[in-house]
Amino acid sequence: MKRLMTSKGLFGGTTLGVVAILVLLPLVLPSATLATEIVIFAMAALACNLLLGYGGLLSFGQGLFFGAGSYLSAIAMIHGGVGLIVALLIAIVAGALIATFVGMLSIRRTGIYFVMLTLAFSQTGYFLAYTLSKWTGGDNGLLDVPRPALGLFGFDLIDLKGADAYYVFVAVIFLAVYVGARRVIDSPFGSTLVAIRENESRASAVGFDTRHFKMLAFTLSGAVTALAGALYGMLINYVPLDNIAMAMSENIVIMTVIGGTGSLIGSLLGAGTLVLMGDFLSAIWPRWPLLLGVLLILIVVFLRGGLWGGVESLIGRLTRKDEA
Amino acid sequence: MLNLYMFQVLNGLGLGMIYFLISVGLTIIFGLLNFVNFAHGAFFMIGCYLCYALLQVTGQFWLALVLGPLIVGALAWGAEKVLIRRIYHLPHTFHILVTVGVALILQETAVIVWGPVGKSIPIPDALQGVVIMGKFAYPKYRLFLILFSAVIGFLLWLLLERTRFGALVRAGSESTEMVSLLGTNIYKLFSLTFALGVGLAGLAGVLSGPIRGAQPFMGSEVLGIAFVVVVIGGMGSFSGALVGGLLIGLVQSLMTTIWPEGASLMIYGAMAAVILLRPYGLFGRA
Repeated sequence: MKRLMTSKGLFGGTTLGVVAILVLLPLVLPSATLATEIVIFAMAALACNLLLGYGGLLSFGQGLFFGAGSYLSAIAMIHGGVGLIVALLIAIVAGALIATFVGMLSIRRTGIYFVMLTLAFSQTGYFLAYTLSKWTGGDNGLLDVPRPALGLFGFDLIDLKGADAYYVFVAVIFLAVYVGARRVIDSPFGSTLVAIRENESRASAVGFDTRHFKMLAFTLSGAVTALAGALYGMLINYVPLDNIAMAMSENIVIMTVIGGTGSLIGSLLGAGTLVLMGDFLSAIWPRWPLLLGVLLILIVVFLRGGLWGGVESLIGRLTRKDEA
Repeated sequence: MLNLYMFQVLNGLGLGMIYFLISVGLTIIFGLLNFVNFAHGAFFMIGCYLCYALLQVTGQFWLALVLGPLIVGALAWGAEKVLIRRIYHLPHTFHILVTVGVALILQETAVIVWGPVGKSIPIPDALQGVVIMGKFAYPKYRLFLILFSAVIGFLLWLLLERTRFGALVRAGSESTEMVSLLGTNIYKLFSLTFALGVGLAGLAGVLSGPIRGAQPFMGSEVLGIAFVVVVIGGMGSFSGALVGGLLIGLVQSLMTTIWPEGASLMIYGAMAAVILLRPYGLFGRA
């Protein structure tokens, strides 16, 4: 029990911080729907961060997993009549399988080729979704995606139609994912990933099968991203073709980087920044992605640790002043 | 029936040459600067719009064909001076992020200037109509496209293989440090090469304008195709870009007759097949 209470344990400082943020979000923001959107994208950014921040793998294919999660869960609900839990499980398994397949082909190459391959595969997914319009609705997107009640063995237990109820549901899943990701990162597996990021040839010389580790990270990331995609489809009751477009992959990467790579809370911050920017600015000026481009450049040039890195160094500077 | 395939093969060659021009620019930049330009597709898109705008203003396609790539190259030259050279020393990940930012800025600027709806570009008067070869007729502009880009490709080869500039670019690709120590102003060389590579994407944009028009969001699709070409042909390889570009152009064009909806899909299928059989591409070194 004592181990659980320390800062690295399950209920330690950062986890409590995440719980606090999840509780405060819907209270501070104008709508629970907006809060839900932030948490869903935070999940996707967190999965991307697992690859980029810890494994050093920049994947431009996250949109493929996100889109696949939204399409497959929605198709299963519409045509298969499956319930909430099964739909989400389908998304998770499909995301893991697709990521394993893409990973198998992409991880053969390292560095820039890896990035280009993940991007090319996400384009494959886009054109596939576009071509199979009978199932996906093609350009128009998949309409009337249901949001079933949370049930067990055919009994509906909790209705999720209301925005607040759905937020709580998504927030609980996010917390579970966050705690899971923390455990993965603190495990020997996580340390090995960081070792691969720092020096792949050394990690491999020490005896780790680096490809195997990278594959596993990729599979995990794909599963979580697909889960986020499924939750997003249920949130807006619609799966636009944009969900699987390159812009989605780009946005997920941008959120991760703006928030700060290598810090899971940063992903929450990055997703919040991007979703709120989009929400507030798109009404005033539809060309706001221009500012996003500028922000991205500024972050890389001046604040490479991302916003969370900036906050951390600020806290560091303030506390040092206290000591002096 | 045979005529139909002949038609599609020629179309594929034209498309392939466009892909070649885009990818060879990407590949030259990567070879010398070790820099990954994710804004390459966006610069191609600017080339398309410049073709439209210059035609509107001057009415002269030939002028657009000369000025368009020069303006795109000048833009790239400026971006290199102000921004890109500050981040050469960072890992590739940051190159990608910064150029994604540049691509977003270019894309949104295009929407602000030319609106969110695409523009169609007329085929220049001198190149309208068809060329008739026996029983076979082929649009003049598409024939011009193939010949013109072949000439450009040849000139580019001469530039890279037979001039001092080309020798420096190739030597720099092997060892930037050595070239710099031997007294070449490496930063000047970098700026010029970046402008040249991006200018080629601009040229491809101008050339493809009259065929497929200009749309503000076409950049990402073009970027995806350029990546497929360099993954197949190998990054930093002139012949790889040529063979990869033509292969992808032909696959896409021939698939248009067989399975129109799946033509774009097949490009990526072809890439996956090459990667499965030859993980390092057709001409790639490990």
